[in-house]
Formats: sequence, structure tokens, C-alpha cells
Amino acid sequence: MKNPYQPIEAVIEEIIQETPTIRTFVLKPKELIEFKTGQFVELSFPGVGEAPFTPSSNPNIKERLDLTIMNVGRLTQFLHTLSKDTILGIRGPYGNGYPIEEFEGKEILIVGGGVGLAPLRSLILALFSKLEKYKKIFLCYGARTPKDLLYKDQILQWQKKIGVRITVDTGDESWKGNVGLVTSILKDLPLKMDNAVAVVCGPPIMMKFTTLRLLELGFKPKDIYLSMEKNMSCGLGKCGHCRMGKYYVCRDGPVFCFEEIKDIHDIWE
Amino acid sequence: MEEVIYYLTQENGLRFLNLLEKEYQIYLPQIIGEKGIFCDFGYDLPKTDFRLVKYASSKISDFTLNPYRSIEPLKIFYTLPKEKLNLLDKEERIAILGVKNCDLYSLKIQDYVFLGGEVTDPFYAQRRENTLIVSGDCSAFKEVCFCLALEINPFPEEGFDINFSFLDSGFLVEVGSEKGEKIINDGKDIFSLATTEQISERDKKRREIVKNLNEHIKLHSIPPKNNLQKIVKDGFGSAIWKEEALRCVECGGCNFSCDTCHCFLLSEDRFGNAHERVRLWDACLYANFAKVAGGANPLRYRYQRLRNRYLKKFDFFPENIGLIACCGCGRCIEVCPAKIDIRKILRELSIE
Repeated sequence: MKNPYQPIEAVIEEIIQETPTIRTFVLKPKELIEFKTGQFVELSFPGVGEAPFTPSSNPNIKERLDLTIMNVGRLTQFLHTLSKDTILGIRGPYGNGYPIEEFEGKEILIVGGGVGLAPLRSLILALFSKLEKYKKIFLCYGARTPKDLLYKDQILQWQKKIGVRITVDTGDESWKGNVGLVTSILKDLPLKMDNAVAVVCGPPIMMKFTTLRLLELGFKPKDIYLSMEKNMSCGLGKCGHCRMGKYYVCRDGPVFCFEEIKDIHDIWE
Repeated sequence: MEEVIYYLTQENGLRFLNLLEKEYQIYLPQIIGEKGIFCDFGYDLPKTDFRLVKYASSKISDFTLNPYRSIEPLKIFYTLPKEKLNLLDKEERIAILGVKNCDLYSLKIQDYVFLGGEVTDPFYAQRRENTLIVSGDCSAFKEVCFCLALEINPFPEEGFDINFSFLDSGFLVEVGSEKGEKIINDGKDIFSLATTEQISERDKKRREIVKNLNEHIKLHSIPPKNNLQKIVKDGFGSAIWKEEALRCVECGGCNFSCDTCHCFLLSEDRFGNAHERVRLWDACLYANFAKVAGGANPLRYRYQRLRNRYLKKFDFFPENIGLIACCGCGRCIEVCPAKIDIRKILRELSIE
């Protein structure tokens, strides 16, 4: 029987400095890891640790996958010291991913906060491959400062195909765009809420207030999709760390619609 | 399988062990006794308790079984407190004697976790396959026992390979699986068919312990099993979590001694120059159990973690498999240095 806890090797082919604290690692796993957008993998380095990350690349590209990682914890701090050609451990993919088939024929509002745009980039790229299937795609993205904005050049390209609004919590001298939390750009949206879904990813506090705002705007709880962050250790629904109500986030999520989890206590903590 | 019950004399008990020994490494209940046995940290274990120890025929002069469950939870034979996960060593086949019905019930929870789902845990599956379970009726109970409050009988009815019931003289032996049947068939000469009188003697003893244990449990006013999920869910905002958690020292003893607790952490350890995957039992009472990078921790406070343990047992598992993940073995009560008592918490939640 195969050992489900054993990672396979993946070599770092390229490292892209996205912001002062965020880097994208382009990985080439030894064996193909085919993932659905929104699924996650467990990345490890011997002697340092293992943690879950959601790929930020197009799921239709099979040989490589990108992980956009913020320097925030023990493992990620270490990852940020690594250079090209280093070998990491990877296993997965795990979880359900975004139900993009259900988005067909609908307008899609994508709301990202900070490094939460990483999984959403994968989603956007997946949607782009069947762009004609969706009525409209609209991205609202917020980061702390202009320096913290991810994928700036790519967003310029996306703007040719989809609506984009960007905001920062704090501007600088050169910033001419909106200043305020992401909820401040969630108004007068060019969307028909009765045929729209919203996909939200970001820090818990951002997801909380975004969800509340979306409900005010008329989104139904079943049409708001959230990527929940927990400390998944095994990824297989066995280790017990990521329980949320009757769910394991690794097994039943990480993507939930708000309808499924709205009655669970403390989901935003 | 045809249900056949056999009789085994006290004298033939040791011959039964010889029979088992041919195929299995035996683990046998051993009383701590007056001599005392010290665990690794020097803690003096209660003299009337039983441990499951490796059988060495030279040290045994009489065949005995434990009247109530052992100190260690049965799960310790299937997931080790710490184990390497890098290869599937060929593991020995073991026979565990002295398993009680609380342990067998809990095995359903462990099976769901490790055998169920999209991916089977190969380490657990292999050990499960290689293990012969020889269970036994309870002929007495401990103060902390409350299985019957959860509608679990103090005698096994399913989930064993072979089950022993105590008679005034000798044992009744019931076969529960093909694995068990094979052993009995190999030793036909030491077993005889049980008589109707012997079976009624067993049933009478079972009724007696049920009666006595029920009387004991009544003193604790544990709410009915079918209300427990609602009581624990509705008690989310109860003050009892904070009150009880004040005394908790976060030793994780309740988790580790629990027959149904299964949480583990994947980690690594250094072996020579190489790092290898290890799995460690984890405890949801530990401060970092749910912590994520960046510092967010949905179970930041001790009272949240204590409550989490109950929600997992009385809400998560009923929602997912229709079973409460508590078998009433009382190990968590016994082990807790802060005297946090699950019976009391359930009772107080039901009063609120």
C-alpha cells in the first residue's frame, strides 16, 4: 500500500520576488501533481516543517505549479532563504477546490485581500481558459500598501478581459488609486446580484467583513464562496487539526459556501 | 457464521495461551499488585489496575483476565505515540487479551478515522490486520466507568475475534470472526461445547453487572445518551468551560489516555544524518493545536480547547458517523491531575 504521508520531491525552478514579503516559487514536482483550482498541497523541507499552500498557477499547466508564499511563520521564513534548484517535499493535492462548473452562466465577483490573491490568481487563470462560459468576471483586490500589491503587471493584462478595482489600506506619494479597506470598493458593483457568485480569499478579518458586506449587497449565503484557513497537518481528514463544526477543512473544504458554515461558532477566528 | 459458544476450564487457560503463542505475540493483562509497577516517570500506578504486557510463558503460573479495562487505551496497539512513517516494516502478529467492550466501541471511531475516507492509513490497516482481539466480559467496574450511560454494555457483542466470559469455574468462549474460529479449531481438544446452564450462568452474571453498574452511574446523573449532542452544542456559551479550564494544566493526559481521541501531528525526526517522517499523538488541549502561521489561533484559550474536545466527541462524530466518540471508560477522569470530570461537565451542561 502507498504511504499517503510521504512527500515527493519538487525542485524550485524559479523564485519571483512579488513584494518585500512575498515570493512565488515555481516548482517542478518529480511526478505530475494535477490539481483543481482551489485545492491545496502540503509543502515541506526536511528538518524545518510542513505547511499547506494553495497553488497560485493555472491548473491547466501540468508540469509546474506556483506557490506564492508570504514570509510569516517558521517554514515560510525558511523558504524565503532558499535559492533556485533547491529540492522541497510536496504532497497533494487535497480538498475540494472551487466549483467552477457551477459558476458557468453566472457573473463572478472575486474579492482578494493581501496574499489571499494567490489562490484567486489560479482561479482567474482557470476561468480565463473558458472565459466565454461566464457572464462577467470582476476582481476587487486590496493590500496594505502599494508595495504589498501582488502580480501588478499581470493585473494590467487581466484588465483587458475583466473588471478590476484595487485599493490599499495606506497609500504613498505615488499612489493615485483608492485608499481604504477592500470593503470600501465593494459598492456600485456593475453586477446583477441575483445571478452572481462571490469568491473571497484573504485574512480571516477581511473575509468576515467582506462576507457581511456582500450579504448587505444582496448576495445569498449560498453564493458566497470562502477559502478557510486552518492548520491542516495531514490533508487527508485524519489528523483532526482542521475541524470546523462538523467539517474537516482539509476534507470538506478548504472552499465552503457561507451557507454551509454560517451557523458554526468562531469561524472567523 | 454459526454462533457457537465453547467452554474452557481454568486449567486449560494456559494451553489456550500456548495455542495463541504459535501464531501471535501475546499481550496479557497483568495486575500492578502489591509489588507495584512504576511507569517511566516513576509514577506509582494503582495497585488494583491492569496493564497489558508482553507475555512470557515462564513468568505466568496461572491464566487470569482483568475484571475491568486496562490502564492503556486499545488505540496504543494501532497508532503508536510516536512512530516513523517512512516504510512499512513487516510487523509481528499480536494477540491482545483483556480488551473490554468500551475499547471495542472506540475501535469503531479509530476505524472510521484511519480506514475510512478517500485514503486508508496503511500503518493502521496493517496492524489491524495483524491483530487478534481476545476480549472479555467485565466482571467488575471501576469508580470512573460509565459505559452504560452511553448505552455501551460491559460485555462485548461484536467487534472481537474471541470473547471470554467468566464463570464461577472456567470461561465461556465465543467466536466472533474467522480469525478467531481458526484458533479454536486448532485447539479443539481443549474446548468443549458450552451447556445451556453455563450460558444462563453467563447471562445472569451479565445482568448482575449491568444492574450494579447502573446503580453506580445513577449517582452521577449523566444525561441520556440521545440528549448529549444537543446539550453540548447548546452549552457552547456555558460558564462551565471557563470554570473547569481554570484547573487544566494542559498535560494532554485526557487526550492520550482516551480510547477514541485520534489526533496526530505529522512531523520529522533526525535519524543519523537523515530526516524521516514521524507521526506523534497530538492533544487538542495543547495551546498550539490549532495555531496557524502568522499567529491566528481559533483555539487560543484553554476553555476553548476544553470545549473543543467535547464538541468533537459529542457533535462532530455524531454528525459524521452517528456515533458519540466517548465510550465511558473513564480514563480521562482517572488521569486528570485537575480532577476535571466528564460526567460532571455533562451533568452540569444538562442542568443549565
